Amino acid sequence: MSVFRLLASRILLSALTLLLVSILIFLILEALPGDVATRILGREATAKALEVLRSQLHLDQPAFGRYSQWLGDFLRGDLGVSIATGRPIADVLGPRIVNTLLLSLFAFAIYLVLALVPAVIQAVNRGKPIDNVISVITLLLLSLPDFLLATMLLFLFAVAVPILPALATISENSTWQEMLRAMVLPAVTLAIMMAVYAIRVLRDSLIEVLRSDYVRLAELKGLRPRAVLFRHALPNAIVPALNVTALNLGFLIGGVVIVERVFSYPGFGTLLIDALQLRDIPLIKATVMISAAVYVAANLVADVLAVLLQPRLRTSR
Amino acid sequence: MTLVTSTPSRRFSTDRWRATPGPFKVGVVILAAHALFAVIGALWAPYGFAEMGAGLPLSGISWGHPMGLDQIGRDVFSRFMHGAHIVLLLSFAGTMLGMVAGTTLGLLSGYVGGWFDAVTQRVVEAMISIPFLALALVMIIAAGPALAGTPVLIVFVVGLVYAPRITRIARAAAMEIATREYVAVAELRGEGTWSIVFREILPNAANVLLVEFSLRLSYAPILIGALGFLGFGIRPPTPEWGLMISENRNLLIASPVTVFGPGLGLASLVIGFNLFTDGLSRMLGQRPVAGA
Repeated sequence: MSVFRLLASRILLSALTLLLVSILIFLILEALPGDVATRILGREATAKALEVLRSQLHLDQPAFGRYSQWLGDFLRGDLGVSIATGRPIADVLGPRIVNTLLLSLFAFAIYLVLALVPAVIQAVNRGKPIDNVISVITLLLLSLPDFLLATMLLFLFAVAVPILPALATISENSTWQEMLRAMVLPAVTLAIMMAVYAIRVLRDSLIEVLRSDYVRLAELKGLRPRAVLFRHALPNAIVPALNVTALNLGFLIGGVVIVERVFSYPGFGTLLIDALQLRDIPLIKATVMISAAVYVAANLVADVLAVLLQPRLRTSR
Repeated sequence: MTLVTSTPSRRFSTDRWRATPGPFKVGVVILAAHALFAVIGALWAPYGFAEMGAGLPLSGISWGHPMGLDQIGRDVFSRFMHGAHIVLLLSFAGTMLGMVAGTTLGLLSGYVGGWFDAVTQRVVEAMISIPFLALALVMIIAAGPALAGTPVLIVFVVGLVYAPRITRIARAAAMEIATREYVAVAELRGEGTWSIVFREILPNAANVLLVEFSLRLSYAPILIGALGFLGFGIRPPTPEWGLMISENRNLLIASPVTVFGPGLGLASLVIGFNLFTDGLSRMLGQRPVAGA
């Protein structure tokens, strides 16, 4: 199968998945048996409030009509209007997504260092005490709930040794130094959470690659060990870690929600929680759809990258 | 003489215990301690878990209050003790529900194949594409205020978040086992689909599923804790540990110790589960997959 046909089929499957996601979200939120308005507002809600919500959500129309209307608008880029604030959802989402993107980029940069350095140290010193020490630390961090890790870092660096701000509240008029300082703690938390998953995989695959024939050959040719490690072994060992990163993106998006919440960072995750707490159904639908789209897109990219990086996968799939 | 005859069986079991990997032993010890603590905590605690005025609020640690007191003067250690069995029971029940649903669907889908498999796989894929925390929270919102904060809902949500992920694993195992000879023999004997799935395939997929169960169980306390932490979990004043961390987090400056207790409990429980899973997968010759 040619690369293009593979690519086309992957893209089609991803689109189908997203269509199903939209049906699922709609079914869960708006089509469960019983009165939607009462479920959202509670039994104590006044008849007037229920009536207003019903008209806002167009609950008088049949479910299928509402769904196709929503999907059509969504595909045309009209995300609807937030019930809680009355503002167009696109306007609310825009800056939040930018903030989360900035945070994620910062976290990703730290993640690369936190994942690569320990894994390389472990692989080079396999079986030695340092290898075991890093393994134990990784296991401990892997077992730490994200909200606990965030709270611990907050306590250490904002309360016990107050060198960083406890709340990552940024606004449009904060300088970039302020923003960077505010983002350190949430970014480090996210980076640690991602890295602990990757370190194990990276270590194992690096050890496997270091045993392979072409690495032996490179060594026999008299290349310096450092050149062998970084030019020959590492690029090949990264592919499995790439897949883990994409797979764990679902966990990461969950992590973003929690970390942003702990540090009050005005990003996408905080918005999702706010929308849920305010029972703002249109906003909930939009945020969940977008997070699912990000997940699907990232997996698509990881798949394609894996095929491009390792040509032999092209034939095996 | 009686002593001599009774030793072989005893030595056999201790030998088997010694042969287990080191991490497994540590994991079992931690989990046993947690189970014991949970049983004691369910029956007795120094103060009531919702009893206000056990002492001066936020007065720090003392012999009477080893984990301090919270904002409204409840003894954190008593709440911690009472919460242990709640965390364990919710985790077990939720994971179990996910296992039953996921295993049934996955084995059937992997064995039957065809359009049933295709449809199941697309739905599973879609459910996994929604970040698990978002899926859990949306379901909690959709359940409405009457069910919000009830243990039944939490168990159901954990089960539904886990089910598609377990379905995938069970399906892969079933597809591999379906090609074996004994399955073909059972088909020739004229056994029905359900009988083949549960009598032939399930027992042979047991190792894979056991490791999967253990792996999912490790993460359940974190998931339940995260729901509690965000305020969508078990209803207060029930002392679920994640909820306790979130309640006492605002007082981190005044009384950090009130957060450390439940935090340590949650972390050590998950460490125990992780070590147990690690050892179990090694003993059963399986390799646990990290993450999603």
